[in-house]
Amino acid sequence: MEHSRHDREVLLAALEAGKLLLENGAEIFRVEDTIYRICRHFGLTSASAFVLSNGIFLTSGDEEEKEAHFARVLLIPVNGANLGRVAEVNQLSRQIENGEYTLEQVRHELKRIEHMPEFPAKLQIASAGFSGACFSYLFGGGWQDALCTIGIGILLYLYLLKFGKPHFSKIVCNILGSAWVTFLSILSHRIFPGTHLESMLVGGIIIMVPGVAFTNAIRDMADGDYISGSVRMLDAILVFFCIAMGVGFMMAIYSKIISGALL
Amino acid sequence: MIRLILQVLAAAAGTMGFSLLFGVPARYYPYCGLIGGVGWLVYLCLLPAASAAVSTFCATVIVILLSRWFAVRKRCPATLFLISGIFPLVPGAGVYWAAYYTVSNQLPMALETGYGAVKAAVAIVLGIVFVFEMPEKWFHRKR
Repeated sequence: MEHSRHDREVLLAALEAGKLLLENGAEIFRVEDTIYRICRHFGLTSASAFVLSNGIFLTSGDEEEKEAHFARVLLIPVNGANLGRVAEVNQLSRQIENGEYTLEQVRHELKRIEHMPEFPAKLQIASAGFSGACFSYLFGGGWQDALCTIGIGILLYLYLLKFGKPHFSKIVCNILGSAWVTFLSILSHRIFPGTHLESMLVGGIIIMVPGVAFTNAIRDMADGDYISGSVRMLDAILVFFCIAMGVGFMMAIYSKIISGALL
Repeated sequence: MIRLILQVLAAAAGTMGFSLLFGVPARYYPYCGLIGGVGWLVYLCLLPAASAAVSTFCATVIVILLSRWFAVRKRCPATLFLISGIFPLVPGAGVYWAAYYTVSNQLPMALETGYGAVKAAVAIVLGIVFVFEMPEKWFHRKR
């Protein structure tokens, strides 16, 4: 009885580690690997994990009943990535293998990582403006474009944090987001005549580009995890299309207004 | 020349900004910035000689080689470095032009720019796949 309780605790800890990795943007291979490492280190050899891009299926138990029968399915909603947590769990799994932690400490440490604070919203918003400006300069803009893109990036990220992500589905959120960026870019282009519409716009929309989904999709497929790879690739392509649609939508309205004004 | 240096610096700074958005711990920012800057430098240097897709491919290869190299030295997942490091190479401008030409009913141009964006994306995919196939010990030996 005591034995089976230990096994159960090990599996729960491994599941928790897997969940943290998956929801914060790790590859499928890393999630499975970490679960097996933790199980093996604490003496559970019969564990078997099946990981998809939004769920973990974990079972244990063998024929001779030496290890406890146990099964868990955990559905994990896909949302924003926090690579810091991935790094922390990875570090933890390394230290577990070196025997630096007891099971109790592992669970404690996982709790700590789960509640690790994110960067404050103000800093994230400022950083979005800053990197948007850098990227508009990369894509052929001048310093005037970069200055405008600081504002565009800040307003875009404000929208994403306050309206887009909490209230809308991913599709609507991204279409409205890129339409918002396009609107702001056109506006700054009209107010400051020396600016380039294209580089401001690209600097703004690059903030919404699904970098994590795209990169992980490729790595999952290269590892042979085709189901998760395709789902993540579909996710990335969908976001790209939504961005293009938002831009196109706003541009269409703008050109209608322009031609209307000229007539 | 000055524009080149400024662009590389902007790429490095932009990459660091993105690392923050993805929650990368602050101690890794210098490496993220370095990787983003070097990737963009390679891209810019190759652009006069090769097509955009080939330049993107070579830059991606460098970005991921560096990411794996730092990942081994710093004992953390390569994902931390490469996701933000790859951002300057993402064909954002291609997406914009494709949308613009589609809306303004210039379909041949829309196809051309959209196809260019797809080519760049495929170049990134190939770069990632090839470098991640390299055995782990190649990166250990250098240490």
